[in-house]
Amino acid sequence: MADGHLFNNISLGGRGGTNPGQLRVHSGGIVWKKQGGGKSVDVDKSDIVSLTWMKVPRSNQLGVRVKDGLNYKFTGFRDQDVASLTTFFQNTCGITPEEKQLSVSGKNFGEVDLNGNMLTFSVGGKQAFEVSLADVAQTHLQAKNDVLLEFHVDDTTGANEKDSLMEISFHIPNSNTQFVGDENHP
Amino acid sequence: GSENNRGSVRGSSELVAYKSVNDLPPPREMKIQIDQKHEAILLPIYGNMVPFHVSTIKTVSSQADPSRNCYIRILFNVPGTPFNPHDANTLKNQGAIYLKEVSFRSKDPRHISEIVQQIKTLRKNVNARESERAERAT
Repeated sequence: MADGHLFNNISLGGRGGTNPGQLRVHSGGIVWKKQGGGKSVDVDKSDIVSLTWMKVPRSNQLGVRVKDGLNYKFTGFRDQDVASLTTFFQNTCGITPEEKQLSVSGKNFGEVDLNGNMLTFSVGGKQAFEVSLADVAQTHLQAKNDVLLEFHVDDTTGANEKDSLMEISFHIPNSNTQFVGDENHP
Repeated sequence: GSENNRGSVRGSSELVAYKSVNDLPPPREMKIQIDQKHEAILLPIYGNMVPFHVSTIKTVSSQADPSRNCYIRILFNVPGTPFNPHDANTLKNQGAIYLKEVSFRSKDPRHISEIVQQIKTLRKNVNARESERAERAT
């Protein structure tokens, strides 16, 4: 197709890991197809709420947040793709992708932010990781200050992946005032 | 292992795993990795390798179930527990939320036991170095 950009080797990140595929950005939106068929993601440009770029090791990651709260993450863009796609998104969608930074300091304390379906843990204003609350099977309040998120056991995606996240828990000290009085969050 | 928690907590604010994104090892398969050089453990969370400095780790354990699934549980240092009293460091970070625990399932028991062993050794080495440094400083 004449309009738009095609990228090979773009992986979609998710709960089970990553899936390689092909991404096409066109005037109507974004289409990603898994290598060898199967899963595909089709985002209409009117459903895009926001876009983000984040530098990841050896690559760049495009975050696409859509209206229903999901945030798709595509990895595999080169630095020059970032520039050309940014211009393209500005022209066709009227959205300027925001730049996010990845936390690499290795610290385990920071801030938790809830946005749509996504829970973001960031350290010093930089994102350490993000999980989708849609994949959370159960949450427990442990003791007084700990929140445990239990993830669905996922046997379908990422068959090639060997280590999958099962549980994650956060310790919220009394000195934290962000989530006072709300036992359902984060 | 529970030796010298104080030392490791003190270290957690000073010890930084990576300075830049480009220092991270190139992404391979989404398996837990250890980066000895940067004293970091990399955890596959939602398609990204997320680094944690080994000094943030309190304990690590693994177990297997009858269907040959293997589980690894990593506990991080958090303030306010008996062995981790609030110190200057945690007071400085007041209001912060701590990642306390993660657990992963793996189909590869050998990989998991290697990881557990490597984390324990790395922790021991880093703790030994840090307490030696603290002693020399006094």
